Amino acid sequence: MGKPTLAGDFQSVIIIGVKSRKCTMIQNIFKYARYVFMILLALSVLAVLAFGPHGGAAVPPHRVVIEYWEKWTGNEARQMRKIVHSFNQTVGRRRGIYVRYLSTSNIDQKTLIATAAGVPPSIAGLWDMDLAAFASLGALTPLGRYAREYGITAKTYQPVYWRACHYHGHLYALVSTPMAVALLYNQQIFEQNAKKLRAAGLNPRQPPKTLAQLNRYARVLTKFGPHGRLIRAGYLPITSWYVDETYLWFGGRIWNRRTRRFTLTSPPVIQAYRWIQSYSRWLGVRAMMGFYSGLSNFDSPQNPFLTGQLVMEQQGPWMANYIEYLKPGMSTLRLPKKLELKMPLRKRVKNYAWAFAPFPSAVPGLKNVTYAGFDCFVIPRGAPHPRKAFAFIAYVNRQKVMERLCMMQGKNSPLARVSRNFLDHSKNPYVNVFEKLAGGPNAHGLPRIPIMPRVYAELNIVAQRVALQEAAPRQALARAQKRLQRQYDRYETIQRLRRAEEGKCPGAGKCTPPDLAPR
Amino acid sequence: MVHTKIETRNFLKGMAFLSPWLIGLATFLAIPIGLSLYLSFCNYPLLQPPIFIGLRNYSHMIHDPVFWTALGNTLAYAAMALPVGMIIALGAALLLNSKVRGLSLYRTLVFLPSLLPAVASAMVWLWLFNAKLGLLNFVLRKVGVAHPPAWLSSPRWAMPALVLMSFWGIGNTVVIYLAGLQNVPRELYEAADIDGADGWRKIRHVTLPCISPVIFFNLVMAIIGTLQNFTAPYIMTGGGPVRATYFYTMYLYDSAFKYLRMGYASAMAWVQFLLILALTGLAFWSARHWVHYQGR
Repeated sequence: MGKPTLAGDFQSVIIIGVKSRKCTMIQNIFKYARYVFMILLALSVLAVLAFGPHGGAAVPPHRVVIEYWEKWTGNEARQMRKIVHSFNQTVGRRRGIYVRYLSTSNIDQKTLIATAAGVPPSIAGLWDMDLAAFASLGALTPLGRYAREYGITAKTYQPVYWRACHYHGHLYALVSTPMAVALLYNQQIFEQNAKKLRAAGLNPRQPPKTLAQLNRYARVLTKFGPHGRLIRAGYLPITSWYVDETYLWFGGRIWNRRTRRFTLTSPPVIQAYRWIQSYSRWLGVRAMMGFYSGLSNFDSPQNPFLTGQLVMEQQGPWMANYIEYLKPGMSTLRLPKKLELKMPLRKRVKNYAWAFAPFPSAVPGLKNVTYAGFDCFVIPRGAPHPRKAFAFIAYVNRQKVMERLCMMQGKNSPLARVSRNFLDHSKNPYVNVFEKLAGGPNAHGLPRIPIMPRVYAELNIVAQRVALQEAAPRQALARAQKRLQRQYDRYETIQRLRRAEEGKCPGAGKCTPPDLAPR
Repeated sequence: MVHTKIETRNFLKGMAFLSPWLIGLATFLAIPIGLSLYLSFCNYPLLQPPIFIGLRNYSHMIHDPVFWTALGNTLAYAAMALPVGMIIALGAALLLNSKVRGLSLYRTLVFLPSLLPAVASAMVWLWLFNAKLGLLNFVLRKVGVAHPPAWLSSPRWAMPALVLMSFWGIGNTVVIYLAGLQNVPRELYEAADIDGADGWRKIRHVTLPCISPVIFFNLVMAIIGTLQNFTAPYIMTGGGPVRATYFYTMYLYDSAFKYLRMGYASAMAWVQFLLILALTGLAFWSARHWVHYQGR
């Protein structure tokens, strides 16, 4: 290292001076940058607070808040919110009630857990399938007393819905919106294949009237591509959400309420599953599953009915609502919607590429068969303000309000009386088909079995095994019957044990559990 | 042993600082674990108080065909996904440990899928496996397979499809292998070179023994992970078709929240815990023969 010189020292001083000036500048920049950063952070927090996502609308003062959990999202949630808003503006304001709507996925499980924890919502929107299981465990508040106060009786309702709202003689639910299952078919594809249909002795302007006819329509309308690939299915039982209720169209039942035995091996039920299997025998398992696996989601523009991959299907009335926003062109063939709604019904139906008709039955003479299900309001056990909660339920069950909601969702009404306006101006021009089906003697609700979710799981497996030709229908049903009966019997035994433990009967095995008491 | 006042005070202070964790551990872990053991001997439908039924839940399990189906599916999945997954992850790590251009990019690409939420991955794979529109069948058709599988709708192909999908998330395992590979002493490779060892012999006699503790760690984690597989099959197949992909944890979940048999589900959880414990124990026992720690 060289000896330091004056010039060198001077140079060093200059360098140090420049460096120190630079350092001060950098320090200053950092110092100010810190403040600027903090101000920016504070501003962004304020911006999020001011313009970001907000909770529900503020509750007006002096109102009791009723928490309402509902499964619906999207369009259906928006439509129900309108009803909630109307209530809050009218009856709610008068009576000091404010209903707060909350869209909740897995509503059954969340209601269950909240109820078990002792913090349930005031109102929960469940499915008909959940009622027996929840009611048998005492998880629901009986609504009979409240319903009578509001004049809601058996006469108010269509019998099929009223019956299904009961468990063990008690009313546990009221319908929020109902449904019935009918045949949805694509009229345009019928017309495009008019020649072929006529050649097969079928009328392209009419839906099938019997199940045998439906099979013939399906054969004509089904289309295969190269390598035997299925391109379009006229009808395919396994695509139906209601494949587990097929037995109804064969005049069958899966449960004997009197003997409390499953009847899965009764001839009509076996026939129903043979019919399901007949399609995979005809199409071939590989072609059928290849097609089935390629189908897209229900709630998307690729819905197989909307894309023309499925010509006929079992469907509920809400499909009108879905078609309107997923593929509006199918519901406005000739006129814009606003103009069409002002026209008489017989002219309105010409505006649609699709139509509904009763799903044909396999039994001669058995007409207008349907499964009539519903979404329902319940008040869970221990829910706060049950009386005020019921005020909202009763409000929705007013004829005008119910018709407004069902019109928005394209559904039929659960009430015994419907107005002409409802039938003529619903967005679903076939709502009268559903009214007729639900009001008829062959409308069936679900059997009220406390282990219903397990019944569905088993029936679903039977349908899959049969469709995949993994088992003969009789064999698959016999297996399911054995398992379900064992599970039900076990449920009964435990209920007896419980009653014995609670001291409500002399000893285990000697008393009748609540669901076994005579009706 | 005599404790001074200061020691006692320090102990209490220490406990006070620890208490948030201790309370959390007791409330959210220890008490629920203890309760679940008790509930496994009860009938508890959630909405009614539990009643003691002794060993009945466990005896029902033995006679429950769905329990055996779910257990069989889970073990079959583990038997396929675990070894193949580990081999693929190790292979990928070995490749990513070599010096090639764009290495950081490749490493990022391998790790990226494991950052995706499980639900999002499942949705992506649902489309990939779509029999008609899926990319997988598109490629298969292009290479001349006239009837590609219906993947998730076929009882034969649904399980292999889920196994295939599980390889998508090997990024984490690869990163751990990479860390292990970078700790292998270079002089061992140099010695092997002098001895004339080829690439495979170096992997067989140098790399694998040196990273055997890492392989062991990944094996234990994979045993636990594969036996708890839930999200992908729940979203993609719902356990179907014909319960071909109905896993143990899915049946446990359904028993608790769908069929309202919390007692039975608790018993299943304990059986699962014992099963994982046994398999992990087996892995630890076998480790004596194939895991080599440096300095031992």
